[in-house]
Amino acid sequence: MKSKRSHEGYLLLNHTDSPGLSQDFLDAAHAQSTAPPLPPGAGRGLFEAPTFTCAHCQKVSIINPLRNRDRAYCAKCDHYLCDDPCGLAYKVSGGACRSYKQLTEMLYEQGLKGGLTHG
Amino acid sequence: MAKRIYGPVAGGITPTATADATNLANSTGSIGYIGAFLGASAIQKATFYEFYQGGLAGASSPTIFVVARDSTLAATLGSSLSTDAPMDASTVALGTPLLVGNVWTTLPQRSATLHLLNLAYNAFGGIVRWVAAPGEEITQIGNAVNTGETSWSAFTGGTPGLSSAHCVYEVA
Repeated sequence: MKSKRSHEGYLLLNHTDSPGLSQDFLDAAHAQSTAPPLPPGAGRGLFEAPTFTCAHCQKVSIINPLRNRDRAYCAKCDHYLCDDPCGLAYKVSGGACRSYKQLTEMLYEQGLKGGLTHG
Repeated sequence: MAKRIYGPVAGGITPTATADATNLANSTGSIGYIGAFLGASAIQKATFYEFYQGGLAGASSPTIFVVARDSTLAATLGSSLSTDAPMDASTVALGTPLLVGNVWTTLPQRSATLHLLNLAYNAFGGIVRWVAAPGEEITQIGNAVNTGETSWSAFTGGTPGLSSAHCVYEVA
């Protein structure tokens, strides 16, 4: 049986020999991008953190050790989900699971049948 | 199947910061973006295991790199300004390799909503590396918009600086 920790990836952000990134810059970058944010302080010095890949969309999120809120979790595919949009969609739908692996398999089947075209 | 390593030209690349849903301009010399990865067929699957960037800039250069799915597909791969080699020297050449590079006739566009990985760092001496857990990699399938192409490029903001980079991927 796999533990949740076995799903964890690894992010290294090494600014020990660099000015690094200010918190203002990280906040501004997060405000513009739909990629999950870097936690406060990640832009200075050596930052190492576990990550998880959302099972429903494959966004990579950093597991912030200081987080208090519950993390979105899909019991059907036994994986963590990103907060937005998948965690939200999971709650709103009452727990509907559509994992990215399922989507990949569906697209593969369609591709085999010639249902997909380039463009 | 065999793992491969892709990267921009050996001297690194100074990324051009580009907004979402905007053409990623072709790389010229060492200026441009790292790469776009397009499926060569409707059933080709690619798996991304690792992304790495090492800063080579000579002054402070906060840079926002993003790995994202593309909402407009690239087409017709041009002359390479990148390297793409198998990890194992004995690997047999793929019959239908993934289309990877940073010079295309039709330019790719990053999706405004499907950013997957934030690789912001300071290219003045910074290092950023992401490695997936087994089974938790980023994947793409086929060659349709939003699922069949992934790009690795600089987002707007900051002052993008010269960066070396590589990623490890595999085609199935």
